[in-house]
Amino acid sequence: MRNGIPAAGLSEMAHEIRDDAAQGLARYGVALRWLSGTRAQVQTLPATIGRQRVAREFSWQVDEPRQLGGSNHAPNPQELLLSGLGACLMVGFAVGATVQGIQLSTLEVEVQATLDLAGFLDLRPGAPVPMTGIEYTMRVAGDGTREQYEQLRLQAEAHSPNAMSLKQGVPLAGRLAEA
Amino acid sequence: MNSPTIKGDPAGCASGAGAAAWVDQLTRRRRSGPSRHGGAADLPAGLAASTLAVHAGSHDDAATGAVGTPIYQTSTFILGEEQYRAVEEGFARDRFIYTRYGNPSQWAVQEKLAALEGAESALVFSSGMAAISASVLALLDKGAHIVASDELYGGTYNLFHHELPSLGMQVSYVNPRDPDAIRAALRPQTMLLYFEALTNPLLKVVDIPALAALARGAGARLMIDATFVTPLGCRPLALGADLVVHSCTKYLNGHSDLVAGVALGSRKLMDQVWPRLLAYGGCLDPHACFLLERGLKTLALRMRAHEQGAQQVARFLQGHARVRRVHYPGLDSHPDHALARRQLANTGGMVTFELASDAQALALLPRLALMREATSLGGVETLISLPFNTSHAAFTVEQRARLGIAPGCVRLSVGVEDPADLIADLNRALASLPAD
Repeated sequence: MRNGIPAAGLSEMAHEIRDDAAQGLARYGVALRWLSGTRAQVQTLPATIGRQRVAREFSWQVDEPRQLGGSNHAPNPQELLLSGLGACLMVGFAVGATVQGIQLSTLEVEVQATLDLAGFLDLRPGAPVPMTGIEYTMRVAGDGTREQYEQLRLQAEAHSPNAMSLKQGVPLAGRLAEA
Repeated sequence: MNSPTIKGDPAGCASGAGAAAWVDQLTRRRRSGPSRHGGAADLPAGLAASTLAVHAGSHDDAATGAVGTPIYQTSTFILGEEQYRAVEEGFARDRFIYTRYGNPSQWAVQEKLAALEGAESALVFSSGMAAISASVLALLDKGAHIVASDELYGGTYNLFHHELPSLGMQVSYVNPRDPDAIRAALRPQTMLLYFEALTNPLLKVVDIPALAALARGAGARLMIDATFVTPLGCRPLALGADLVVHSCTKYLNGHSDLVAGVALGSRKLMDQVWPRLLAYGGCLDPHACFLLERGLKTLALRMRAHEQGAQQVARFLQGHARVRRVHYPGLDSHPDHALARRQLANTGGMVTFELASDAQALALLPRLALMREATSLGGVETLISLPFNTSHAAFTVEQRARLGIAPGCVRLSVGVEDPADLIADLNRALASLPAD
């Protein structure tokens, strides 16, 4: 199967969502439990895809480097956010290549971001809390042309829920509940 | 309309990948089947089940004019451009490539079974358990939870109790006739409700529309093992189930001469099951497909005879002094009789009755001349077995009692013999039983 992605199944899914919008609605979640210091345990919550509940039994840890007061036992929140962005871009690129009939042999994504800790620590008026920039590089090999890869990159970015959530921003709502 | 160029389903086409820029431009839609006739209506609409049993899926051989489906006894098929393309684009289920993937003999019997069950798609397997295990695992993910009947067939119980936990899946067992208990057992991880249309051996009738509503409310799927009722008794998909499985070894084949299974449902779900059939390998041999297809042609006749025989045998047993209780959903005395009348068009050939003790039940067996002491059911010949030393041998007396299986419980699979002969056989054997 080209790139390990079933074009036929993608096509069928697309038509099913076009015919029945509820099939296209997905809801994901994670739950974090503080362990100690900057370390936390993350557990995926059951997801809903279309009308179906989907068990998601995955767990990992998050921590900070020692330089930032952590124990360096796991990736930090920024690295996890960047991995979510890179993986989402990668899925879109592989899907787009498959739809266009391009066989990939290499697909690598490198994502980096810059952060001014003065913002988090509130050390200076106007110091930015958000990352000041995110850059990514894709390394691609296969039977496509450079022009096709560049067009696929743009297409993957434009269709990436994670990339567009970062770029366009999404409403964020928090609340406090009893422990 | 067999296509001379497409060896498979002529309507199962490529998606347009290679000519499209993004997913929204792909053109392939999911459709029923697969079928060598591209799902074309080759039979008039509105045919009765007995007619479908004879004609659906059975296609005369265009090359020779032979009536009925030839046996395609081959493991593999000549590869061509269409086959390679199907593999590359992920629609290999629509082409003949290798018999584990699909074979015309499998497709013929699948088409017949799908027509009888009112399903978009069907997959035959090398046993009922192959159908159940592939289907259940296709619908579950790691960490998933199942709510299932506490009266499951032993093979299914073994899969659920011994295999699924090692795959990170959990099962809660509940009384299939207690909606509150089922609702209370649901968890956020519940992905599947699994029940049998008629339970074994007490022949409780499960309320499929009620179960379907519970499953829908929980975002879970409902799978029904309809082996005991057949599509002639009940079509669970029409009542809201997502997937139906049968052991074809039983009534569907009906002659106790092969082992097979089938899973039926929407094309979408069966396309999810198909990769598990490939991975676990339980495909049905073409010759067994032929036998199953031949057996199915008389399903309606046989089910009528099974039901009539069972009804007469059950009435006889109900009136016999040595019999303490009879379980048959066709009897007014059955606790689920009203539901059976509503849900079952045919109450089948299974009759369970209770003698005074397991010793009495054991003593009955050698006194019978016609009825065969054997496990399984649904064949033309009447079979008799005792749950305490067969299906429920792993349970203690107390556990069996909690399930309602009293000492002296006997299970009959009433065949298609003349009911008067069966009654005479039982009458002779019961009359010669030693005193309690």
